[in-house]
Formats: sequence, structure tokens, C-alpha cells
Amino acid sequence: MLRKIWVIAYKDLYITFTDRNLILIMIVTPLALASIIGLAFGGFIGGGGSDVPVQNIPVAVVNLDQGVEFGGSPLNQGQTFIDLLVPQGEPDPENVLHQLTDAVELETAEAARAGVNAGDYSAAIIIPPEFTASITTTQTQTELTPVQIEVYASPAAPVSASIIRSIVEGFSNQIAMGSITIASTIGALTERASTDPLFGLQFAAAAGGGGFNPDFSAAFSPDAALIRIEQQSVTGETAAFNPLVSFGSAQAVFFMMFTAMAGANNVMEERRAWTLQRQIVTPTPRMVLLLGKMVGTFISCVAQVIILILALTLVGSLIAGELQFIWGTNLFLLALVILCVSLAASGVAALVAGLVRTPEQGNTIGSIISILFGLFSGAFFSIDAVPGANVISRLTVNYWGVEAFNKLSQNQTDIGLNLLVLLILGAVFFSAGLFIFNRRLSV
Amino acid sequence: MLPDPRETVLVRLARAIRQRCADHKGDASMQETLVQVRGLSKQFKRDNGETFFAVKDVTLEIRRGEIFSLLGPNGAGKTTTISMISGLLTPTQGDALIGGNSITKNPLAAKKMLGVVPQEIALYPTLSARQNLQFFGKMHGLGGKELDRAVDEVLDLIDLGDRDRDKVDNFSGGMKRRVNIGIGMLHKPQLIYMDEPTVGIDPQNRRRILDTVLRLRDELKMTVLYTSHLMEEVQEISDRVGIIDHGQMIALGTVGELIQKVGEEDRLIFKVGEQPVAEALLRRIESEAATATRARYERREIANSDAGALATAEGILTVYATRGRKALPDIIRLADESSLDILSVEVREPDLEAVFLHLTGRALRD
Ligand SMILES: Nc1ncnc2c1ncn2[C@@H]1O[C@H](COP(=O)(O)OP(=O)(O)OP(=O)(O)O)[C@@H](O)[C@H]1O
Ligand SMILES: [Mg+2]
Repeated sequence: MLRKIWVIAYKDLYITFTDRNLILIMIVTPLALASIIGLAFGGFIGGGGSDVPVQNIPVAVVNLDQGVEFGGSPLNQGQTFIDLLVPQGEPDPENVLHQLTDAVELETAEAARAGVNAGDYSAAIIIPPEFTASITTTQTQTELTPVQIEVYASPAAPVSASIIRSIVEGFSNQIAMGSITIASTIGALTERASTDPLFGLQFAAAAGGGGFNPDFSAAFSPDAALIRIEQQSVTGETAAFNPLVSFGSAQAVFFMMFTAMAGANNVMEERRAWTLQRQIVTPTPRMVLLLGKMVGTFISCVAQVIILILALTLVGSLIAGELQFIWGTNLFLLALVILCVSLAASGVAALVAGLVRTPEQGNTIGSIISILFGLFSGAFFSIDAVPGANVISRLTVNYWGVEAFNKLSQNQTDIGLNLLVLLILGAVFFSAGLFIFNRRLSV
Repeated sequence: MLPDPRETVLVRLARAIRQRCADHKGDASMQETLVQVRGLSKQFKRDNGETFFAVKDVTLEIRRGEIFSLLGPNGAGKTTTISMISGLLTPTQGDALIGGNSITKNPLAAKKMLGVVPQEIALYPTLSARQNLQFFGKMHGLGGKELDRAVDEVLDLIDLGDRDRDKVDNFSGGMKRRVNIGIGMLHKPQLIYMDEPTVGIDPQNRRRILDTVLRLRDELKMTVLYTSHLMEEVQEISDRVGIIDHGQMIALGTVGELIQKVGEEDRLIFKVGEQPVAEALLRRIESEAATATRARYERREIANSDAGALATAEGILTVYATRGRKALPDIIRLADESSLDILSVEVREPDLEAVFLHLTGRALRD
């Protein structure tokens, strides 16, 4: 039986990997996308302040923060941010933020949003009136309340928008860190941060993903905070942040979903072409036929991700000018993540194939789910502005997979939950799909 | 091998005896039942939700070593029947035993004896002929040298030995059909189902396929279940025929037995265009034309006439006569007397078409 499972899987793999168009979609497209985005950031990161390919992003900033009285003097964190971002007079060539953005301060949120809608700005940053109050403990207020800085981004400029988001993110981390751990020195800290942005940024980096950190989409993950040039990992080792990992893994998982869907849907196509029936009339249990199909799909997914990972490594090495493996040092866990992501994707695909009536339906529904998964996991643009999106993103294979890839690349190994969720998703959907499809065949 | 209605009883008797002897020559297995189908029915749902029987209460036996044909028009239920007795569809009622194994209760044992050639060209277009054969050979449990040998033999038999490494996609329709058939016989099954293997094929390729089917029986000693809606080929290759219509088996027997059922009359078919034919003329033909027994007039609408000026209906006068050629001059005379213009005449000796017409009142090709 195992032999026949392999015979079927091998046949499908052979057909898949001898199909040039399929290879193009499976590997070349995501690789190209990830490399283009990665190179854009790669240049920015590698070249430092003087050589910034992504620069002068038009952004509107609105500070509605009313501030608080702190130790007898007024404290306005919103203003701190404005001072950091918006140049007084000429932009400072040493200031990364000034290079990266073209920030303008506006009076009202409405004006800022309208500007984004009109295409004048890639994004608007709106700091709410209660901002400082929410994140500062005083004698009268000892509780911190969560607060959100609104980033109103234009979907037309997803990369710019995500950079802006990352800047806000870095700033938030910095402020939050200050508020929670050393509230008493916050004034001094922000004082220093406003005059020395790098200090602030490094400070934020040291904080890692702690505290105030809202959950960002995996692809443009919070750890990808672009203003951070180097990131201190938890263990204290220096781990270079690499956008190729975030973008690459997001693209890899996104396109792998399509591969999985196409693989599972192929059962429907074989049914139409009668090659499935031709297998059913051989002395082979139906479960073996379906398992063979899904094993082939699973291996396709694994192969696609591995090839992409290797190719992205090559791209990363070319950018760095030396051979470097960007996916972290734990190859065992990396392999586990690849297997679990592929299993989960195949499982979801098996269920879809079990539920649809025709190959066309399978194609459409498969694509819709793949795209939704991509959207909600933030493979294209960050979805933190969408209410509830953080919760929804956790329902996607992409979220858990991409997060695991990013953690591993930074040599963090706390991916147990990711693996567990992926395994459960995979096992449950896989079994359900096979069961339903098997029943559907007995008509 | 049709009995000629004009040959004497004696000649016919002699031939029957010779046939009997041939049947019993060598092995007695000719009479052994290989497939037993009992009360097989399949109910489907139409799109509008109502149910109908695509196959109803079909019972038949296929004997070892024979070519058994299911003959029936499009939609008669041939494919549905084959699908049930090959384990693709679960019967609503009834069962089929293949070599004593129930296809519903012990499908794997039953399928071991079976090769299937589906009506559809069920091949992987991007694989070569050889790869297609290899894959399905492996699915039938072949492997190693045995598989290689079987593939080579089949490629030879279907005359594609020199194109074996070409993608099936680049093959002509006839070549694809041949690969389709080749896969069904690759593992040398005792029993092979062939569902309309000649559909959409030019005469030359059709001839080839029919010869292959005959070789399967005569040289490889396989038992063949063959379906078709073409009575000529069924008549030529079959040992026994089951005629199926609207899901029901309406006649079953050897070609000779079936033709006997319709009384072995010749059929004379006159096309008369849009002219009406009076009832009186029909009665006169029946009584005055030599050896004529029945006369019928039928008017068919021509559905696909695109020009309004052309005839939209076709009148057909059918006369049954024990000696068709003898009746012909009389009929032409009678028609002339009623000033009926005969546009064309066809004299058909008794065949399965006539049997179908006799049983259903419809032509097989409708
Ligand atoms: N899965 C199905 N669902 C509903 N109706 C079906 C299904 N399969 C077949 N039918 C119907 O059952 C009837 C018999 O179909 P079948 O395919 O067995 O005919 P056939 O004799 O093989 O015809 P053909 O010569 O055209 O191949 C047809 O009316 C067909 O529309
Ligand atoms: Mg059919």
C-alpha cells in the first residue's frame, strides 16, 4: 500500500515539476516578489544613511495629544514623536528618519486622512488626545491603558505604508518601554531620544517585542521595525534583521497555499478526466488513492518552500556580498516548521477539495482562501488598522508559519505554539478532507 | 456471420451444428460464467431534484472467453452499468459477481480480475505513452521486469512502439484511443470492459481497434464486455449481445437469436421528402406488393435545417418484406400510381438495427 501511495505521489510530483508554467508560478514568482521587496530594503539596510533607495516617503503627522503634568512640567509624548520625525528647518542628513520620510505636521486628523485619500501622502500618523495620559503613570493615575496610534495608510503604497508603520511601532516600543519599566526617568529618556534618535531606536530595539507591542502582521512584523538597523536578540547575541526573511517567508507561504490548493484540487480534475476512475478500478483502496494524492501535494509544498528558502538565501548572500544563511542556526526547527506549514496547507486544501463539487469551484474557492489567508496574515500590507484583524490572522496557516520563520531567523526558538497550531490545523483538516472526499466518491 | 434469410433451412442447420462444435472445441470453459449481474439498478437525481433510473433491473451473464456487447443509444445506461460492475458507482439495487467475487462486498478481489477501458480518454497528457502505461501498470501491481515486458508488448500491440516516448498530448485522437485501450489490457486481465472504444475515430483506426478486440479474445483468451451504439461493429465482433434502452435490458442473445426475433424480414426504406403518404397506399402495398408484410409512414422534423427555403421535414416510408428485392418493383409501381415521388431507396437485410427498431419503434441512431 505504501508503494502505491508513493507511485501516485511520484506521478503527481513528476507532472508538477516538469510543468514549466507551474514552476514559474510556484517558485519564480514568489522569489521575484520577495527579492524585489527584499532588495529595496536590503539596499536601505546595507547602505546606511547615505544610500537610501526608499526615501522621502510623504507622510502627514497629526498630534492631538493633550499631554500630562509630570513632575511639575508638561509632558507630551506626541510632541516628542513629532520632533523626532518632522525636521525643524532643513532635514538633518544624519537623521535616518528625515532621510526616510518627508514628514509634514497637520492640524486635524480629517485633513491628514483626506491627504492620504488624495494621494498626497503615503500615510498619516494620528496621535490621539489621551496618548501621553494613557501611557504615563502619575500620582493620580497609576494604571496604564492601552492606546493606539492611528496609521492611516494608502493601500496604493503598501511598502511605504509599512515603513511608516514600523517607525510608529519603533517609537511606541520606545515610549512604552520607558513608561513601564522606568517611568520616573521617562522625561529624561525622551529628552535624549528626541535629540539623539539612534539612542531611542537602540533602546527600543533592546526592548524586543515586549510590553506595548501590538501584534503586527507577520510579513511586516514588529521585529522588522525598519528603523532598527541591528537587533539585539533575547540571548544577547547580535542577529541581523533581514527583510528577506519576513518578505520571503510571507511570499513563500502565500504561494505555497496555492500549490496546496492546486494539488488537492487536482483530485477533482482527475475525476473529470477519468484518470481518477481509472485508478479506482485498480485493486487499490480509495484511501490509498487519496493519501497518495495528498502526499504528493505535501511534498510539492515542502519542495517549494525549501527551494524558495535556498534561493532567498542566495539573494541575501548577494546583497551582503558574502555567503550568509538568513534563516537562523536551528536547522532542525527550521525543517520542522517547513514540514508543519506544508502539512497545515495541505490539510486546508484537502478539506476544500472534499467540499467542492467541480474543479472550477475548487480553483475559485482555493484561490479565494489563499488570498484571504495572505491578506489577513499581512503578506501584502499590514492589517493592524482593520479591527479584529489580529484575531483573524491567527486563523491562517500563514501567520503561524511566517512568525515561526521570523523567530528562527533571529535565533529565537520559542516556536512550540506555532508548531502545535500548524500540526493541529494540518491533522484535523487533513483527516476531515480525506474522510469527506472518500465518502463523496462512494456514490 | 449473419444468417442470410434466403439461405435454406438445411444450410442454416449445418452452420448451427458447426458453431456448436466450435463452441465445445478444446475447452469447456466457454460456458463458464465469469460475470454475473443480478437485478442491477442505479437511481440518479436530475438537476431539478427528481430521481430517475439510469439503469433498471439489469440481469446478465458473461461467459468466459466471449465478447459480450451492450448495444444501446446515447444515454441508454451503458456507462452507468459498466461503472457499477467495475466498482465506480454503488448500485442502488442488485450486485455483480466477477469470478464469484461481489463487486460491492469484496471489491478488491473482484477488481484484480478486471481491466477497464473507459469511454473517456483517461490519460495524463503531459506524460508519454510509456509513462502512462507504466503508471497504471504499477497501480495494477506490476513492477520491475514484468512491467517493462508488459509495456513493450502493449506498445507493440497498439502499434505505438516507435512513439512511446512522445507526450500523449501530441498524439492524434486515434493514437490516444489506442493508448487508452492499451492501459486496460496491460496487466493481462481475464476480463476487460471496453466502453465505446471506437467513439470519434476514423474508419481506419476503428478497424484496427476492432481487430485488437478480436485478438484479445482469440489470442489472449480474454473475456470482453464491449459497449457501443453502433450496431455494425457490435454485430461483427460479438458472441452475444444485450440491447439496452432507457436503462433496461430489452433483448439478450446471440446476433442470430436476436434477428430471429424480428422474423428475419428485409426492410425497405423510401425517402419521400415532404410529400404525404396516404393510409390507402400503405394498405395497398401490404396487400399487393410481393412478400410485403407491413408498411409504415413516418414524418420526421429536420431540426438543423438552417435555411428556411429548404425542406424542414422528411417523410419516410418503411416496408417490411420477407424478400425485399422481390417487393421493390411492386412498391415502386404502386407509388407511381399514387403519384408519389420516391427520392431514394434502401434495402436493409435484417440486422440489429432492425431488432432495435422492432423492439422500441425508434432507430438506434436517433
Ligand atoms: N452522475 C450522474 N448524475 C445524474 N445523471 C447521470 C449521471 N451519470 C449518468 N446520468 C444519466 O444516466 C443516463 C445514462 O447515462 P450513461 O452514461 O450510462 O449512458 P450511455 O449509455 O453510456 O450513453 P453514451 O452512449 O452517450 O455514452 C443518462 O440519462 C445520463 O444523463
Ligand atoms: Mg457511455
